[in-house]
Amino acid sequence: MKMIAFLRAAIVAAAMLVSAPVLAQEKTGLKPGFALAPNARIVLMRPSIKVGAQSTGGMFEPNADWTAQARDNIGKALQSTQVRLGNRVTPYDDAAGNDPVLLGQYQNLFKTLAGSVIEFQFFPGNRLPTKVRKGKFNWSIGQEVTRLPGLAGADYALFINTEDHYGSAGRKALQIFGAMAGVGIKSGLHIGYAGLIDLKTGELVWLNADQQMGGDVRDAVGATKRVNQLLEGFPAASTAVASAR
Amino acid sequence: MTKRLLITAALAATLAGPALANSLVAPGPVPRIARSTLSAVPGTEWNRLSARGGKNVEIWTLDGDELNKVTFYGGVLVGDTLFRAADRKNAPLPKVTPNMLITDIPALLESSYRSQYNTTQMSIDSQEPTLVAGHKGIKFTYSFVRQDDELQRKGEAVGAFVGDRLYLVSYEAPAIHFFDKDVASFRQLATTLKF
Repeated sequence: MKMIAFLRAAIVAAAMLVSAPVLAQEKTGLKPGFALAPNARIVLMRPSIKVGAQSTGGMFEPNADWTAQARDNIGKALQSTQVRLGNRVTPYDDAAGNDPVLLGQYQNLFKTLAGSVIEFQFFPGNRLPTKVRKGKFNWSIGQEVTRLPGLAGADYALFINTEDHYGSAGRKALQIFGAMAGVGIKSGLHIGYAGLIDLKTGELVWLNADQQMGGDVRDAVGATKRVNQLLEGFPAASTAVASAR
Repeated sequence: MTKRLLITAALAATLAGPALANSLVAPGPVPRIARSTLSAVPGTEWNRLSARGGKNVEIWTLDGDELNKVTFYGGVLVGDTLFRAADRKNAPLPKVTPNMLITDIPALLESSYRSQYNTTQMSIDSQEPTLVAGHKGIKFTYSFVRQDDELQRKGEAVGAFVGDRLYLVSYEAPAIHFFDKDVASFRQLATTLKF
């Protein structure tokens, strides 16, 4: 799997380099013409949060304590941010007979959708010909998302996903030795996606994704920084809508 | 997916090379799929990915191969694997064998996935004999969950042996929304296959 990913990424990267005059990866996508209505009701889905260590070999080792800390910190940061969003944002009701399996599958699907947007939209040289022609930002999670209990009466669902791999001591040592030998070794991964789904159509109307997020989610200050970064460019009603990329 | 995106981003900043963009597959006859004698007549547009995954493999998609994927295995020879092994030493893939029957094709795909993708949840849900491009073949459906994204996916495939070569064409997508969205286009495509 690793080798396939590497080979595939190498081909993709090579393609991007030539076909895109500017190699910068885009980080935000907005459906052309989309503007959030002032009274829109947004349901904040339970954020998908993974925190752990990165082993010397680069493998992810989940850490339940760090994940719990991050979940608490990010939850509080999101609460204080909701006011700034300028819309009616309510947390998803996890109780009341909801379907946790289906919810989990939608969270996984959102992550996969976001990954496809990053790979095939945010890297301009790797775009799919049919997608380019149909519109500049044409992605959907499917209208069936309205089947999820707890979304009745809502206009949009806000999905948030973060994943942090903190470099272990061994990984950091390897990074230092690698640097001495002239080999670049990355220590730590910090990625995050935030996306807004139109609950009438299932369309992804906004996505912000960064694979080099800042803020240590294990403490309150860092989590606030992370949440601010995740919601950069959020199409709040009070914010001018930028043109789609 | 996470690792793939990170590697993609890292390489994008450092590499230089020839253009290898994804290409449009227009409706109408498409010859020499997967560098083989395999051909088809899609009724709708698809995108052919520049990334392959094996010497006789070609991938078409509409929204990205993690969301919908048609994989053409164009004449895999006896002794070869369906696709390129990620880790030949620790996770070798099963090979096409001379005594293999068409009823062994679903198991070949299943064991290949279990090895390549650490797929612990995979089942062949149905299988039935069918004619594929005029050859005795098999049509089967399956479902699986990959360890890396824990997303439930469904698949449908047709396969047949012609001489000592295996031809297999599969369609896979997440069970939610995506499988049903494009399965009709795949089924139309499957009826037009020629080896």
